[in-house]
Amino acid sequence: MKKSLFGLMAILLVLMLALAGCSSKSTNAGSTGTGGGSSGSSAKKVTKNNKDITIGVSDNFVSLDPHDTNDTLSFSAEKTMYEGLVGFDKDMKIVPVLAKSYSANANATEFTFKLKKGIKFQDGTPFNAEAVKANIDRLADPNSKLKRHSLFAMVKETKVVDDYTVKVILSQPFGAMINNFAHPAAMMISPTALKKYGNDIAKHPVGTGPYKFAEWVPGDHLKVVKNPDYWQKGKPKLDSITFKPTPEDGSRIAMLQTGEADMIYPVPTEQAKSVNGKNGISVVAKPSIIVRYLSMNVNKKPFNNVKVRQAINYAINKDAFIKVVMNGYADPMKSVIAPNTQFYSEQQPYTFNLAKAKELLKEAGYPNGFTTTLWGSNTSASTKAMEFIQQQLAQVNIKVNVVPMESGTMSDKIWGVQDPKKAQIEMYYGGWSPSTGDADWGIRPLLSGDSFPPSSYNTAYYKNDQVDSLIQDALKTADPTKRKAAYDQMQKIIWNDAPWAALDVDDTIYATHDYLKGAYLLPDGSLDVTNAEIQQ
Amino acid sequence: MLKYIVRRLLGIIPILIVISIFIFLFVHLIPGDPARLVAGQDATAQDVAAVRKSLGLDKPLIQQYFTFINHILHGNLGTSLKTKQPVTNMIAQRFMPTLWLSLLSIVWAVIAGLLVGVISATKRNKWQDFTGMAAAVSGISLPSFWLGLMVMQLFSVKLGWLPTGGLESWKSYILPSLTLGLGIAAVIARFTRSSLMEVLKEDYVRTSRAKGLWERKVIWDHALKNALIPVVTMTGLQFGFLLGGSVVVETVFSWPGLGRLMIDSIAFRDYPVIQAEMLLFSLEFLLINLIVDVLYGILNPQIRYN
Repeated sequence: MKKSLFGLMAILLVLMLALAGCSSKSTNAGSTGTGGGSSGSSAKKVTKNNKDITIGVSDNFVSLDPHDTNDTLSFSAEKTMYEGLVGFDKDMKIVPVLAKSYSANANATEFTFKLKKGIKFQDGTPFNAEAVKANIDRLADPNSKLKRHSLFAMVKETKVVDDYTVKVILSQPFGAMINNFAHPAAMMISPTALKKYGNDIAKHPVGTGPYKFAEWVPGDHLKVVKNPDYWQKGKPKLDSITFKPTPEDGSRIAMLQTGEADMIYPVPTEQAKSVNGKNGISVVAKPSIIVRYLSMNVNKKPFNNVKVRQAINYAINKDAFIKVVMNGYADPMKSVIAPNTQFYSEQQPYTFNLAKAKELLKEAGYPNGFTTTLWGSNTSASTKAMEFIQQQLAQVNIKVNVVPMESGTMSDKIWGVQDPKKAQIEMYYGGWSPSTGDADWGIRPLLSGDSFPPSSYNTAYYKNDQVDSLIQDALKTADPTKRKAAYDQMQKIIWNDAPWAALDVDDTIYATHDYLKGAYLLPDGSLDVTNAEIQQ
Repeated sequence: MLKYIVRRLLGIIPILIVISIFIFLFVHLIPGDPARLVAGQDATAQDVAAVRKSLGLDKPLIQQYFTFINHILHGNLGTSLKTKQPVTNMIAQRFMPTLWLSLLSIVWAVIAGLLVGVISATKRNKWQDFTGMAAAVSGISLPSFWLGLMVMQLFSVKLGWLPTGGLESWKSYILPSLTLGLGIAAVIARFTRSSLMEVLKEDYVRTSRAKGLWERKVIWDHALKNALIPVVTMTGLQFGFLLGGSVVVETVFSWPGLGRLMIDSIAFRDYPVIQAEMLLFSLEFLLINLIVDVLYGILNPQIRYN
């Protein structure tokens, strides 16, 4: 008995020693800034001999009903199974998908779609004008209580003109409507399946897409398989795709290194460099449409003075911000929206200039600076950003108290405010991704006079009548030249008013094994795998 | 004994009612508006109000509580605000992975902990004791988050023996249960050591040694049985915590269990899921307590139940 005891003890000890050995190495790696992933360099290069891939993602899927989804991750999965009338290409430009062509009337109240013929849903239901009407009616009906109803709330009526022509009539002009149709929320669900499952469609997705639903074990994995009857010849090129939610960054990277995952996203910026180029793994970073900004409550002293706001813009070194906070995976912002957003117009950046910042503060009557509070979320990335801002503004004698908040608390503090005058918010560090890819959704919710909390996200409480009327002008027409003119002027005015210190445009970052080609992230952070294939 | 168990089981009911009130209030006191989180980032104020109404969150708290209790009595734990699925199904799916993982961790932790503890106590101040206790101290102090990532680097990335996470085969259990169990094994080892050393000083141990009993029989049959009582209490508690969702380990190993469900639900203010999980954890704790009490009686028949 004693002997077996010792045997067990010995095993335990060996294990401990092995762990201890492993540990010292990794702490070293951490301190030199190469991250935990560096020890994976001894891992073998993984090869692929089948066409089933696994994608490691950062969170659980919430729903598989596109009309009732508001997280980009669920959209990524849905986009393998569903398609819309129109969609976004690699650069968020609108392209026809199930529609052959589309047109709008001059005042943006009527949108007509000509549909492609011969397309079937995965359950055999033909795709036609009736199917489109069933989908738009569902989205437009407030009683359906769908999360994406707001994108279609202005639809008055959907008319079937003939089998392959649909006309959508709006109750008021809405020039950005075609972008709402391109939004993944407007993807088409089989009307037969909708009738059969009702809102349970979230668990039984049926679309026209290249992959069919196979199984979903919430919290563990979601699997889709090749749709053999897909209408685009030669696609899809993979047999199946399995999505595995892996919330912990380090674990997601390990999954990629072992070959359990063929692709992962997002890749934490701290670890991106340490895995890139090793063992057949590539990290790909591309500009997104996600912007990071520092909003200032323009109703409050000292931020009611435009010189103070401009001074803060000059006092923050954006290049350093990108290097320190984003590990280099970002670009400086040159307008309040990102370049990949439609109707973007570049402005003259506030280049880092401490002397100018100090001078502006002096002119505004704050030669000795002031003390203020900065709110933001309590994630480590956001806290790091806020501390960076604190350090930058200290250079011009502005003392910033950083207050990181848990999401629920923050939502109470910011969106629990009914009267703008009582808002306690001073400075706020936030981010925004206009999911429709249009300037309207990049500007109106954040900077229009109607968007004060709690109704929307104007945490700067910025209101400029000229901007507000330009927003309306841009919505009243579907004519791109007229819309562009309005957005050009609007962006210029806002930039000069400086209700924000515009910080950066994030990169989307994913990593794949080199044998996986054609899978990529769109600037809105959603995945496109329709062209993905395995190439050895 | 049977009568005692039945009475204790009945006694759980009023406790659960009190707990349910606390859970309900506690959940509703967490800051954050679930209606806004449900409605999503792009929602307008009207959308949020509509969602609040449809969820019944606009009603007075007391009325919400009675609806909650009424539903529970009908076996309905509600519908998740986030996924719109019945909470009962969500918990049922996540329960077994957490149960098996916890059982496996506790079993190996008890075996390893007892062995190290007994050896340390009997070889007091010798090298076996020092090694055992050094290992135990490191086991207690290693954060399971870090430990999890390290065993993953070693066994998955470098050696390629085991999967990094998820739940696919028996292999998936090894790394998470190792990570979860290590801390517990260490605590058990320390408890066993000190408790056994106390007992070894007792008169009856001296008597049985004087009688000429084998040392091994003295320790394993006589001394250890008495020394085990505090160890059992502690193990019971630890097991309760494990079942309550080993949040960190489940996150590191992407485990489809209750701990991760809890974290996701709190982040989303998914009231029905949080409430149901907290009730379930309370019930588990009460049951484990009962099991611990029954084990006392088995270990030491002098403890009587009336």
